[in-house]
Amino acid sequence: MQHRFNVNADEVEVTLNKTDGGWDWEGATINQHTRGRLHVRMADGRTALAHAAKVGDVWWVHLDGHTFALERMEPGASSQQHGGGLVAPMPGKVLETLVEPGDEVQAGQALMVLEAMKMEHRIVAAHDGTVTAVHHQAGEQVPQGAVLLELEETN
Amino acid sequence: MMKKILVANRGEIACRVLRACREAGLSTVAVCAPNDQGTLFTELADEVVLLEGDTIATTYLDQAQIINAARSTGTDGIHPGFGFLSERADFAQAVMDAGLVWIGPSPHAIEQMGDKMTARKTMKAAGVPVIPGEEVETEDEAEALIALKEAAERVGYPLLLKASSGGGGKGMRAVTSPDAFEEAAVAARREAVAAFGDGRIYVERLLSGSKHIEIQVLADRTGTTVHLGERECSVQRRHQKVFEEAPGPTMNAELREAMGAAAVAAAKAVDYEGAGTVEFLLAPSGEFFFLEMNTRIQVEHPVTELVTGVDIVREQLRIADGQPMSCGDLHLRGHAIEVRLYAEDPANGFLPAIGPLTVFRPPEGPGVRLDTGVREGDEVTPNYDPMLAKLIVWAPSRNEALERMRRALDEFVVLGTTTNVRFLRELCDNEDVVNGATTTTTIEDTWPNGWSPMRSEALVNAAMASAAAAESFGMHRSTSSSGGAAQAEGPASPFATLSRRYP
Repeated sequence: MQHRFNVNADEVEVTLNKTDGGWDWEGATINQHTRGRLHVRMADGRTALAHAAKVGDVWWVHLDGHTFALERMEPGASSQQHGGGLVAPMPGKVLETLVEPGDEVQAGQALMVLEAMKMEHRIVAAHDGTVTAVHHQAGEQVPQGAVLLELEETN
Repeated sequence: MMKKILVANRGEIACRVLRACREAGLSTVAVCAPNDQGTLFTELADEVVLLEGDTIATTYLDQAQIINAARSTGTDGIHPGFGFLSERADFAQAVMDAGLVWIGPSPHAIEQMGDKMTARKTMKAAGVPVIPGEEVETEDEAEALIALKEAAERVGYPLLLKASSGGGGKGMRAVTSPDAFEEAAVAARREAVAAFGDGRIYVERLLSGSKHIEIQVLADRTGTTVHLGERECSVQRRHQKVFEEAPGPTMNAELREAMGAAAVAAAKAVDYEGAGTVEFLLAPSGEFFFLEMNTRIQVEHPVTELVTGVDIVREQLRIADGQPMSCGDLHLRGHAIEVRLYAEDPANGFLPAIGPLTVFRPPEGPGVRLDTGVREGDEVTPNYDPMLAKLIVWAPSRNEALERMRRALDEFVVLGTTTNVRFLRELCDNEDVVNGATTTTTIEDTWPNGWSPMRSEALVNAAMASAAAAESFGMHRSTSSSGGAAQAEGPASPFATLSRRYP
């Protein structure tokens, strides 16, 4: 059975092979345990009990003290691309916009100041470029993932 | 005699205080903002008063509304917890003016210590050493900036800008060179105005390589002032503590005696009453400097409780009632460690995270204590501080306490919301933590380019195979797929029909 996951913007394909009562992939063997839990044998021979729960499209897995959030891509979906957009890392309020469309900016330059949970966060340019759009102004509330500004990379 | 206490707080600390009241045979009143209805602390109170308002300012910070709630429920005393109104002298005064008992120090003591600049001056006068630095009293922004810059030149770089009304790392900026000064000062000022309504900033020398050591004090009305030993809280990110322990791994009896005496002197200088904490920086040279005094119960108080056997919140209730404190001479036993579990993404600059607590399964077993305000099914919202829980362990030795903490963190399952559990777990393996050599810059020194989890390929693959297998097994159809089930609101909520009273 084939599944695709979005892991840090990379698409990973997992093709499970059926084993005796469970599934196998890349040396890992997974069997169903009790409610919400899986018995896992890893490729290095270690075994552990995993907890799994799905929230929206994301499978949350707790395994051996580590927690993974793995977004399952439904068949036919493509990985999302924000292009040159700079997105809000969390819900908050725009305190200040420091650039205007047309401004030339340098990597590391602060473009916008966001406030969330009473802390200030600076949205900085990841690369040199030209600001092509500013979508939110000071005072506006923005949800997590909102595209705040757009930046065209200088070649 | 107090018979009924109102807890003017929410979440984890409200739970802690409400439970202490129940143990002391006191009846309790919780106040709750509309977006907190149905959360754990409201269920631990005998009565709940619903506050009207949709911001913190119009609910948990609304003094008049809270005092009205106390009056209408026949409350005798108010416990403020930490944060919110806990260090507001005007609130303490208003509570007393309303004929209620304020469970905390006098408004005068809060004022003296709450304003960091005044505190520095008071401590200097009491002979308690303070960090080299300068106060700037000007309210005018432009003038203050010029004066600050001049003060910075005299204090020298690297330095720390601090909001006079500050706390929790808000309005605080480290500045390493004059070029970065102005931007940092403007940001610190703006943050201070937003968080505290007071933009006054002062300059302090940044003592790198120092340890953050704090002394718990208790003072009652019979004139007894004692200290309960130290806590080391050096490990901080963005000036917020994440790993705290008692006793301090490098402390000795002599230094404990000296710092304890300084803390008691600090408390006596302001006629302190109740529980308080005097924070010090301990420089590599062995010199210690007064940082500030927190005139309230502190987040990390449980580590002191576990090694001293003193129930600090219970003592607060006793002292506020005019009784002498019940604890005798200081005896430290074993070692305690606390970590703060935050809904945040440590791999992404520790940014706060939100989401459902679809699975929330804390560790259990010997020597494990969990102080939390959430449970499975709750929703983490951006409305309040992202601290989900405090996990505290006790063991006979520091090494065993670390082993126990590692075991407990490995057992801690939180699914649905990103947390710092794994970061805390790796912290327990950090060389400086293991050796007790932590300083206030341990996190940035260890992970200068940010933290990311150490995971073997076998583990990552097994996790992906688990997710795929869970989907193939159809597990998402048998487990709840979204949190918030316990957040039901509106007329259908059972919350509205239980024994609650609304004014």
